[in-house]
Amino acid sequence: MSFPHRHELETTTILSQYHGDAEARTLAGWLERGGYERLRTAAMMEPDEITGVVKDSGLRGRGGAGFPTGLKWSFMPKDDGKPHYLCCNADESEPGAFKDREILRWTPHLLIEGCMIAARAIRAEHVYIYVRGEFFPYTRILNEAVTEAYDGGYLGDDVMGTGWTCDVTVHAGAGAYIAGEETGLMNSLMGDRAEPWMKPPFPAQAGVFGLPTTVNNVETLATVPGILEHGAEWYRQWGTEKSPGTKLWCCSGHLAKPGNYELALGVPLEDIIYDVCGGTPNGKTVRAVIPGGSSTAFLTADELDCATTYEGLQEVGSSLGTASPIVMDESTCLLRAMRRVAQFYAHESCGQCVQCREGTAWVARILERIEAGDGELRDIDTLYELCVQMTGRTICVLADSVVFPLRSSLDKFRDEYEAHIRTGSCTAR
Amino acid sequence: MAEQEARDTVTLTVDGVAVTVPKGSPVIEAAERAGVVVPRYCYHPGIPTAPAQCRMCLVEIEGQPKLQPSCVLQAQDGMSILTASETAEKARQAVIEFLLVNHPLDCPICDAAGQCMLQDYAYETRQLYSRVNEAKAVMGRDRVAEDILYFPDRCIICTRCVRFMRDVADDDALIVAHRGHKSYIDTFPGRELDNEFRGNIVDVCPVGALVHEDFVFKARAWDMDSAIGVCPGCSTGCNVTVDTKENQIVRLKPRHNAEVNSYWMCDYGRKHLVMANRGVRAEVPLVRTDERLQPTDWTSALDRVAARIEAVRGSGGVAVVSPDSSNENLFFLGELAAYLGISRIEFRVPTGRTAALPGVPTLQLRADRAANGVGAELLGGTRVDAPPSVSPGEVLIVLDDALEDAPAELGVEAGFFLYIGSRLPLAARGADAVLPIAWFAEMDGTFTNFEGRVQRFHQALQPPGIARPAWMVISRLLQRLGAGGPGVSDIESAFAAAAAGSAALAGLSWESLGHKGRIAPGMESVESAGANAG
Amino acid sequence: MSRRIHPAVAAAQPFQLAERDEIQGPLLGTPEGSERLEMVLSRYPEKRAALLPLLSFAQEKRGWVSPSDMEEVAAALDLTPAYVHSIATFYTMYNKHPVGRHLVQVCTCISCHLNRGDEVLDAFLREVGAREGEISADGDFTVIEAECLGACGFATVVQVNDEYFEDVTPEGVAAIVSELRSRE
Repeated sequence: MSFPHRHELETTTILSQYHGDAEARTLAGWLERGGYERLRTAAMMEPDEITGVVKDSGLRGRGGAGFPTGLKWSFMPKDDGKPHYLCCNADESEPGAFKDREILRWTPHLLIEGCMIAARAIRAEHVYIYVRGEFFPYTRILNEAVTEAYDGGYLGDDVMGTGWTCDVTVHAGAGAYIAGEETGLMNSLMGDRAEPWMKPPFPAQAGVFGLPTTVNNVETLATVPGILEHGAEWYRQWGTEKSPGTKLWCCSGHLAKPGNYELALGVPLEDIIYDVCGGTPNGKTVRAVIPGGSSTAFLTADELDCATTYEGLQEVGSSLGTASPIVMDESTCLLRAMRRVAQFYAHESCGQCVQCREGTAWVARILERIEAGDGELRDIDTLYELCVQMTGRTICVLADSVVFPLRSSLDKFRDEYEAHIRTGSCTAR
Repeated sequence: MAEQEARDTVTLTVDGVAVTVPKGSPVIEAAERAGVVVPRYCYHPGIPTAPAQCRMCLVEIEGQPKLQPSCVLQAQDGMSILTASETAEKARQAVIEFLLVNHPLDCPICDAAGQCMLQDYAYETRQLYSRVNEAKAVMGRDRVAEDILYFPDRCIICTRCVRFMRDVADDDALIVAHRGHKSYIDTFPGRELDNEFRGNIVDVCPVGALVHEDFVFKARAWDMDSAIGVCPGCSTGCNVTVDTKENQIVRLKPRHNAEVNSYWMCDYGRKHLVMANRGVRAEVPLVRTDERLQPTDWTSALDRVAARIEAVRGSGGVAVVSPDSSNENLFFLGELAAYLGISRIEFRVPTGRTAALPGVPTLQLRADRAANGVGAELLGGTRVDAPPSVSPGEVLIVLDDALEDAPAELGVEAGFFLYIGSRLPLAARGADAVLPIAWFAEMDGTFTNFEGRVQRFHQALQPPGIARPAWMVISRLLQRLGAGGPGVSDIESAFAAAAAGSAALAGLSWESLGHKGRIAPGMESVESAGANAG
Repeated sequence: MSRRIHPAVAAAQPFQLAERDEIQGPLLGTPEGSERLEMVLSRYPEKRAALLPLLSFAQEKRGWVSPSDMEEVAAALDLTPAYVHSIATFYTMYNKHPVGRHLVQVCTCISCHLNRGDEVLDAFLREVGAREGEISADGDFTVIEAECLGACGFATVVQVNDEYFEDVTPEGVAAIVSELRSRE
């Protein structure tokens, strides 16, 4: 099972309280646990009031970008008279991230409640929950929950007797990481290739079906009911001024206790790795950590004392991302690891922009060749140059995403590259 | 008023040059007004969508670190754009280097060599060195239409072809298959494009990924000469460039004219001209002597024909003209007919199926398969369906009609049968005289299209033998007959004579037509053109 | 405001792969197919948005998306078959050819890579006796490599049809394969 092992280290349970509790996913069980009362409140609040609370809470998007959620909601038009849409991004495909799955399968009603409250705030009357296609078992659970919620009058016409109408549709993807990018998601929802588009137009001006849309991550939306119930100040009791609240961590790689843990933001990364997750199995030392999912920069073993906030990880040259540390012990060939990461991006590039379409594959080919023993020292210079030309040149940031781990691996583990190039050997133990 | 205009425009600088453009203009267009052509692939002025995905048009906004695609970046007041800053130039070089990662560099066997935007920009950006040290993907060759081949290895996935079909031709039959570095352009498996305007995808392709099968390996860009022309295939009169090699037409490409065909043309127009001009050509004047047509020089021929014309003047008769004749040819033929007292000037217009290009309402393959049916009518001709006939003793003059539907003995009993034509069909062998003339590609001239637009075309080929333009020949006949001024020797004068002598062209001059043509003043509503527009 | 969405179907199962019927005939021309079409269309204001759900329905019923499915779906949504082909090839999950009874997708992305994902893949290929992407001789298996399946803490993650297998080790593969083989 993957519900979090309880740990004393500032563990919170505002999101994860019912993870592992099979009752909580039923409507009856959810109601017993106080569910949908927050929705009732929200259904009778003014939209901008709800946005105000979320803005004050400082909640930041949990899909990796960390954009302030209340601010994003405030971009939506207030009285344009057009239909608005909320898209819940459940296309969790970032290597290392596996937190949204927990919410979908243990507390689907929490997500539904959060979606409905957010829809109210942005004046939407239709929510699309875009779930990655591979999540068959969890989509089924979500579907059950949505059906029950409709039957119980919590969705659809006259929500909970308040006169407000809002629908929820579960929409499954079909296998494309780039459908997790907000404009790629919207294109995919509309039945097109999941190709991101140039902004402007911004989603809040013209998103799905050309209408004002907000896209939010599962974890972000699941946090909203708690904030509405307890208030912004309550949420700010955890974390820091710039990074308030708690986070569902996804810890993977070489760990004794990998899995999901909910922690207040700000806990030192090394505490998460060594205390919460028990460090590496088999007593090996940590060699490198990618802290936020594969689109973030490598950290070495002695850079792990940073605070796990958005600003804290930025200060050490990486980023919080989806809070998904991938831990690599001393037996890891970092060149092979980077090669596999590059192959992921090459596979997932949508293909529009040449820097990404050709660049990700070129990076992967170079790394494969070095791994096979045919590398040259100038390959390192080439890789550095590719980092420059693949940053800030494209419609979306998939190309930039491969640059973060690539450049940091070149900076911090150059000896690994050189060992493979010069002698064909590896520095892993 | 000026304030209103100011609100509708913005002023910015591009590479230090100030330009004022309509509000909402993309910077790439503003740059052109400043004299800077920003390199681009996916943007095309004739295709309404700009996905900004080729990344070639990235420019620097002064003071901002991130480069922006100028095809979608809207010009704002006070913006300062640098198209050639070091960052922008390096970014452009990188695009070329990325495009060449898997490119086969098969220029020696690629039709696009010499007219390829990948080659051009590689030179322009001085991206002459590649760091690629990997094996290249090999994707082979595909047939997307019965006459168009696709080479995915060369393709830069600019999607111009896809968007032309979808957004201009309204025929969503060409798509991008797969994704990432495995992308390629494809049709639905097992199907091919059969749209009448599919040839345009070859023109918009910046590289040699899409090629016409009937042009492949035929001519190198630098072997070809080009002439500005008008397609003679139907009454639309698409503006074209006529490419020739070794005195043969090898290709037609559309030329931009916002009022007629935008950037496009149909496949019928592309192909039929290349297949035209087959058959036996009339190369030297022939005059019947001792029962047989004998070759002779122009002076003798014109003298003897003039003498016969004097003799049969007033006998009545008919002139049969081809609707593919130029306005100048038709005008002078009309003068000759008038001199002879012939009032019947007939022409026949073959018709065929029609096809429309939804994105450009004026561009259609029209039913009338004639270059100048409108001109023929405006200059005194009558459109008929019946095959040509002439009564015994009357005069028959034919201007370039191939006489395909004519009876074999046409003109045998005519008082005088004069054949002025580019070819020598069987039916012409009964003529009393044959005056060889240049076919439209071998001379300058004008055609009038379906809406009355008079458009110039220019000589692309050398006429065979001593064939000459009909206006040159007939004007010299008229000169001998004392029925016109001196013989005309240049197109400007030929056109001036026609403009002076007919309402259809009055007020125009050869020079004033430019390369996009004009509708004659007073002819803005051409009723008969409406009838011929079908 | 008139309801566009049938209340009972707002949460209609987008697709299930529990029972793969492997139909031979038309997709949408059947009672079940046309019912599904109607349900799916009711959830979106534009027809084209129904495309992914319908292609998934084809995969659910047939086990793969055939050219005739693409043509049928295109006709139902006023799209061209070429467009549907573009979508079907863009997304990884749509099988363009028939696959074995059990489609085994082994994640070898970074977290699983660190936990012997490559060895798990090799073990599956050995156990089923086929090359990657091919249908095994007994028709039971197709084994392919997958990108991140979203369960990284429980590496190596393997998806078989609609089921997730987690914490898979190379040593445990044989047992999984024989259990799958024995299923009806």
